[in-house]
Amino acid sequence: MNPALKTNNRHSHRTWRKFLSPILLILTWEITTRAGLVESWFLPGPFLVFKTLYGMTISGEVPYHTAISMGRAAAGYLAAAVLGIGLGLLIAWSILIEDFFDPLIELIRPLSSFALVPILFLWFGVGDTSKIILIFKSCFFPILLNTIAGIKGVDKKLIMAAKSLGANEGQLWIRVLIPSALPMIITGLRISTAMAMMSLVGVEMLSSDSGLGFLVIDAQRTFDTQRVFAGIIVLSVVGFTVDRVSRIIQSKALYWHTQTSLGGQ
Amino acid sequence: MSFITARHIGKTFNGKNNSDPTVAIGDLTLDIEEKEFIAIIGPSGCGKSTFLLMVAGLESATSGELAIEGKPVTGPDHQRAIVFQEFLLFPWKTVKGNIEFGPRINRVDKGICQTLSRDLIRLVGLEGFEECFPHELSGGMKQRVAIARALANKPKVLLMDEPFGALDALTRETMQLELQKIWQKAQCTVLFVTHSITEAIFLADRVVVMGSRPGFVKKILTIDLERPRSRKIHTSHTFRRYEQILKESIWEEEEDGSWERVPALEKRSA
Repeated sequence: MNPALKTNNRHSHRTWRKFLSPILLILTWEITTRAGLVESWFLPGPFLVFKTLYGMTISGEVPYHTAISMGRAAAGYLAAAVLGIGLGLLIAWSILIEDFFDPLIELIRPLSSFALVPILFLWFGVGDTSKIILIFKSCFFPILLNTIAGIKGVDKKLIMAAKSLGANEGQLWIRVLIPSALPMIITGLRISTAMAMMSLVGVEMLSSDSGLGFLVIDAQRTFDTQRVFAGIIVLSVVGFTVDRVSRIIQSKALYWHTQTSLGGQ
Repeated sequence: MSFITARHIGKTFNGKNNSDPTVAIGDLTLDIEEKEFIAIIGPSGCGKSTFLLMVAGLESATSGELAIEGKPVTGPDHQRAIVFQEFLLFPWKTVKGNIEFGPRINRVDKGICQTLSRDLIRLVGLEGFEECFPHELSGGMKQRVAIARALANKPKVLLMDEPFGALDALTRETMQLELQKIWQKAQCTVLFVTHSITEAIFLADRVVVMGSRPGFVKKILTIDLERPRSRKIHTSHTFRRYEQILKESIWEEEEDGSWERVPALEKRSA
């Protein structure tokens, strides 16, 4: 058999195998509830949950809350990406800027985003602004630190090689330093997509009248467990999709890098 | 006046955290003619790589004068290209993209860049690999790309810091032959730092032996062997005689003990 076909075949086998554990989980879950081992307000069966989810989707409830949540996450995330990469480049460029910002970064970074919630609510109210700022805070530091580390980690001799080829300071940054640091920067951007999803749900649960976090906590308050599970499933699917998309973007942007690491060189 | 003139060059590295400063090069005087192939050999820490970086304009001398065509060296210039042992290609660029990097940033017309890279790819024997990325190439091929990239600016001086040090013995010999061919076509002055005596004799018009602690020029040996030189030349009587002379010159150094003791400075110059 053609070896290329063989690997292809093995690859599709692997894809199918990965469906095994979710299917088993859902089956066990359904059987447990059908057998009456737990009460349905405590743990509704998957069939009921998906039925509720279907209803909520048809009624427009799920799309509405998803759109609101994604809007908040995107706003906080994009602001963090722009400012994180921007400040990261400045810090890597100038030691003066680094010394100025470093103490602030080290003090704010380890702080839990949620410690800021009372102040944010006090200053900006419970609306979108404070939520977006909180998401921004969660996403900003991974992007910032990865940008700094990426630029600072560029091989000094690669810089020498570029200079000897005639690169001036601007060309050195745009054509050598930033492309070299891109794998690190993109890793920071990917870590932050997960951070954005996590803090989004948290802050929407604390205080909100919309969004997926609100959907889940509101259902819990009325003991509507089916809706709670439906909301969690939406969150899980959204999170998974965001990660997949960012992974695809990463491998497209860094075709040379992924290839290198996969090639084991 | 010579093409490259180095007069009483000295280099002292300031010690980190108030440790004593290290004198890498004490007093180095050397004249190099245009289109000459100079090999520099010497023990680790003799400042040979540091000297190469100085000619490249990537490192400055703490004393003395270094001039090319009578003009003092003040910084890097695309007329002086450097090739390192570690290849240092741009991994996100193809072979072609790497080679065209220099001319492109120096605002050479795109069409000219393409002709240039096509000719260089042929010169270094990489036809068919134009669109490959560095990770798809072997060590020898990577170094061919690095040489072509350095030559793309049509430099007057080609500086090579142990360029074949990371290659296996067989590839290394092939690359030496290739480099001789490339140099004869490219018509530039080459400064070639190496640890291999036979490589130095095989390639160079003159071999400079440097002594260490601090670095200085110990001996200059003119290699009077006809070009193009073939592999067979290694077994010739004259070649062996040169080998003998150079070995003895380096052994003297070894008896002083400086060959074995590697000062911390090599790290900086490397």
